[in-house]
Amino acid sequence: MVKHLFTLIWNKKKQNALLLSEILVSFLVLFAVFSMLVYFYHNYKKPAGFKCEQVWAVSYNQSFAESNTDSVVQYYDAVKQLLLSLPQVRSVSLASSNLPYFQRTIQYGIKQNAISVNNVNSYDIEDSYAAILGLQIMEGRWFDKSDITFKNKPIVINNSLKQRLFGNGKAIGELIGDGPDKDKRKVIGVVQDPKFDGDYTGAGLASFSRIDTGNIRWVGNMLIEVAPGADAAFEAKLYKVLANSMKNGNVEIEYLTNKRKSINYFALVPMIILSIISSFLIVNVALGLFGVLWYNINKRRGEIGLRRAIGASGKSISVQLVTESMLLACLALMIGSFFAIQFPLLNVFDLPAGIYLSALLLAIIFVYMLVLVCSLYPGKQAAAIYPAAALHED
Amino acid sequence: MISLRNIEKVYRTDTVETLALSRISLDIAQGEFLSIMGPSGCGKSTLLNIMGLLDAPTKGDLQINKQRTTDLSDKALAQFRNKILGFIFQSYHLINDLKVLDNVELPLLYRNCNAKERKELATEALGKVGLSNRIKHFPNQLSGGQKQRVAIARAIVGRPEIILADEPTGNLDSAMGNEIMDILLDLNKREGTTIVMVTHDENMARKTHRLVRLFDGSQVQ
Ligand SMILES: Nc1ncnc2c1ncn2[C@@H]1O[C@H](COP(=O)(O)OP(=O)(O)OP(=O)(O)O)[C@@H](O)[C@H]1O
Ligand SMILES: [Mg+2]
Repeated sequence: MVKHLFTLIWNKKKQNALLLSEILVSFLVLFAVFSMLVYFYHNYKKPAGFKCEQVWAVSYNQSFAESNTDSVVQYYDAVKQLLLSLPQVRSVSLASSNLPYFQRTIQYGIKQNAISVNNVNSYDIEDSYAAILGLQIMEGRWFDKSDITFKNKPIVINNSLKQRLFGNGKAIGELIGDGPDKDKRKVIGVVQDPKFDGDYTGAGLASFSRIDTGNIRWVGNMLIEVAPGADAAFEAKLYKVLANSMKNGNVEIEYLTNKRKSINYFALVPMIILSIISSFLIVNVALGLFGVLWYNINKRRGEIGLRRAIGASGKSISVQLVTESMLLACLALMIGSFFAIQFPLLNVFDLPAGIYLSALLLAIIFVYMLVLVCSLYPGKQAAAIYPAAALHED
Repeated sequence: MISLRNIEKVYRTDTVETLALSRISLDIAQGEFLSIMGPSGCGKSTLLNIMGLLDAPTKGDLQINKQRTTDLSDKALAQFRNKILGFIFQSYHLINDLKVLDNVELPLLYRNCNAKERKELATEALGKVGLSNRIKHFPNQLSGGQKQRVAIARAIVGRPEIILADEPTGNLDSAMGNEIMDILLDLNKREGTTIVMVTHDENMARKTHRLVRLFDGSQVQ
């Protein structure tokens, strides 16, 4: 019977082309939407890798006279002392401008033997940074005072970067970079990937370095961990203290929790809009599919009557029609999957292949369900066609 | 073989009620070739459809092969039509999207029959109607007479005991019509197939064993 139906579908390829392309288009749209949803979900269910509660971000402009680095260091020591003397302040760390959730990027590339890795986020921070954000150390250790004296500048990397550079091998104590040995950086620790770009975005690659005398004069941000219960009144006070210490500094204080909310919101909104648009599209396709199947069945009343006359039961008629549309869906899905499979093969968006495969599976299931649902009712109607009446008509 | 008792058929639409058949009683013996005649609209097709289990009578009793058919399930009726009955229609009712051979194979799809057997039986049936050289054609590449011969091949491919033909020569000129008639007569004579044929042609009717005339839903001869 299936072979017979294939013959029938093949012989009617012109009429079926429309239906086939309709199924194909809906499959491709679904594949795109599911890829995105699966990707978001995939990111979402990964641990955040850090905490943002009770952490405030401070931005300011501060320019220092060129020559004297020591005085800059002293200046910051004084500011930090002043801040730490406030009972609500628990910890302070200077940081480069790419603060968590600020969506600013400072990136560089690493060449390591045969491996070349691009888009590595570089964070310049102080020793207290890891504790403020609750970074999870997976291997080795975080920076401490002992790192002032070094032969190779120490660096902490996140797990993703470690996987790219060393796979499952040893990272701690390895030197990275492709210059002369003295310019290489020594890996002292690996931290769990912190999702600095929001809960729905992948963590990316990251490395952390200590702020030192070489770059301290360019710093314009700090993270402050405050005690629970630190409120707007304290924020105002903090602002005053900072503004006093930084004349014309344009001090700005933001809560990381607020930044997180807005970054998640801006990730979700396009996803929601896209989902709504695509559900409209799918409803449209479903109606179209339903219409075409319905129309086909009415056009085929004569054939249905004839089949009944030569021995088809009502049920076998409806099974036949549903099977026909399912076979057509099979063909469309085969073509569609061929296109869809190119994404992981050609690594189009640099997403893990598993995401595409899950999306592919979801889209296939969805399309089958869609076609099934759209053909069940017309199929049932066809089964109810009275053979004598159908044969009478033409 | 076929036995009708007080068959009545009423068509009801929103506005009118048509009495298409009233109190038809008829016995058709095995191997008989019966023709049904009567003016247009007198209920010939209706009668044939009831005998062919395509339509249910409003009242009365129908037996085929001593089996009461009035209370069979849809599936059982389908089996009955598939195994015992073969249909030939005035307008052929071939499926235009299927080749001649596939059209003839159709009834075999609804019973246990593998592809090889189907092909053999269909080729054989097409041979009987003299169309062996057209099996790869599509119906719209054939003449009316050829189409009707395909339809006959389809009706006989499953070796039914009864063939019901509704004006099988109605759309054909007399030469073609005679050809079709000869095939049916041959089938009746050689294989003993019971045939019930509706016709408007006295000459055709004369060649059959018995003639039943209907007028306004009633049997008048
Ligand atoms: N499905 C139907 N609904 C309502 N009335 C019907 C239906 N089918 C047939 N009739 C009516 O029943 C009567 C008998 O119709 P039938 O088709 O049996 O005539 P016929 O003898 O075959 O005519 P013809 O020689 O023109 O084919 C007609 O009056 C017709 O209008
Ligand atoms: Mg008629």
